[in-house]
Amino acid sequence: MHRLFPKKHVTIITSDVLEDKIIGYIRARGASGYTIVRARGAGSSGEQSGLLDVDTNIKIHIIMPADRLTGLLDDIERLLNKGHHLILFVSDVDVLAPEKFEPSAF
Amino acid sequence: MSALSNLLIPAVLFFALGFLARVVKSDLRLPPDMAKMLSIYLLVAIGLHGGYELGKADLGTAINSVVWAVILGFTLPVIGYALLLITRKVDTMNAAAIAAHYGSVSAGTFLTAIAYLDNLGISYESYPLIMLAVMESPAIIVGLLLASYSRQKQARASGATNLSVQSGENKQQLTTLLHEAFTNGSVILLIGSMIIGAIAAPSGMQKLYPFINDIFMGVLCLFLFEMGMEAARKIKEFRKVGMVLVVFGMLMPLIGGLLAATVAHLALGFGVGGILLVAVLGASASYIAVPPAMRLAVPEANPSFYLTLSLGITFPFNVVIGIPLYHQLAIQLAGS
Repeated sequence: MHRLFPKKHVTIITSDVLEDKIIGYIRARGASGYTIVRARGAGSSGEQSGLLDVDTNIKIHIIMPADRLTGLLDDIERLLNKGHHLILFVSDVDVLAPEKFEPSAF
Repeated sequence: MSALSNLLIPAVLFFALGFLARVVKSDLRLPPDMAKMLSIYLLVAIGLHGGYELGKADLGTAINSVVWAVILGFTLPVIGYALLLITRKVDTMNAAAIAAHYGSVSAGTFLTAIAYLDNLGISYESYPLIMLAVMESPAIIVGLLLASYSRQKQARASGATNLSVQSGENKQQLTTLLHEAFTNGSVILLIGSMIIGAIAAPSGMQKLYPFINDIFMGVLCLFLFEMGMEAARKIKEFRKVGMVLVVFGMLMPLIGGLLAATVAHLALGFGVGGILLVAVLGASASYIAVPPAMRLAVPEANPSFYLTLSLGITFPFNVVIGIPLYHQLAIQLAGS
């Protein structure tokens, strides 16, 4: 296992309309990149069928060093406090090539 | 009897088929981006067609229509907001978000009304189309203003201290949302296509004839088929919304339709077709442009409230009951 390095994996599930806002936070907090996939599902804001723009959910994956995490969590918490519907969870992952996750201007 | 036969046009029947497909739990699944693609086509086609007609139209009436569209767009949400607060079934934030939907317009309902008029061979003015483009945005602004007004009232009531911070943030949010309200995808497509239709050389427009006219009704059928499925999906949630709001979802279009029809007749002097189209603009509730804006700007409001109302209640109501009703109203008005 000596080739693997611990990082934090942040997953956010939310509405399509928040994409630009959250990407802004991710950039500002110095993550090295992100991946977004389209998602469907249901929850407190009703069924998200993905058929209309407003009904489309996205799932955002970010892998970043643990020491950069707090700032991003603060930003997302502020969105939650405003009443936005979103889900965030963090898990531990191990990555190859840790230099890929150093902050860069993406 | 005649009202029923008026509904036997393919577009409306496809709406019913889509609705039925969901009700019987058919396994039919449409490609995820189909509705988006179809609505892009419909906006471009109607924009080009209308722009071409407007290029030949009278500028004074066009400006007059725009002014009245703005007035309607600002007035209707305020009426809706007041009505919703009277019901006491929703809080002020939900009322603001729902009201914004009713001040804006549904292009799907508008196009169904055009199919209805074409079917009966009734001619109509091209001005309501500019009103469609104009009315997308003002209601979003009113919704935001109502929401930030309620937010401040709530904050004051709870004795919040960071009011100044909040209002600074609100101002910044307002600028972004104003930008979004006017650069919204459907507004750009519709107004852009109208300008192209108005300034393009007629010979070039002739080549587009099959694209704009021949396949238009077929695409509308497919679009309404999908919207029928979507409406049936949303209507299932009406229990969550409650009977009082369902009644609002049918009463508000009647109020908006009556008001808009009166404007079309008295202020703009339109004929039966034009009055019907403007009535539909007043009666319809947005489900494309406004929901994302409200989701972003009024996160406190519950999306399943405003989506169920606009898409699950008001849209089917207008397609099935509203349009023939506004037609009768238009005949009464134009005949008097």
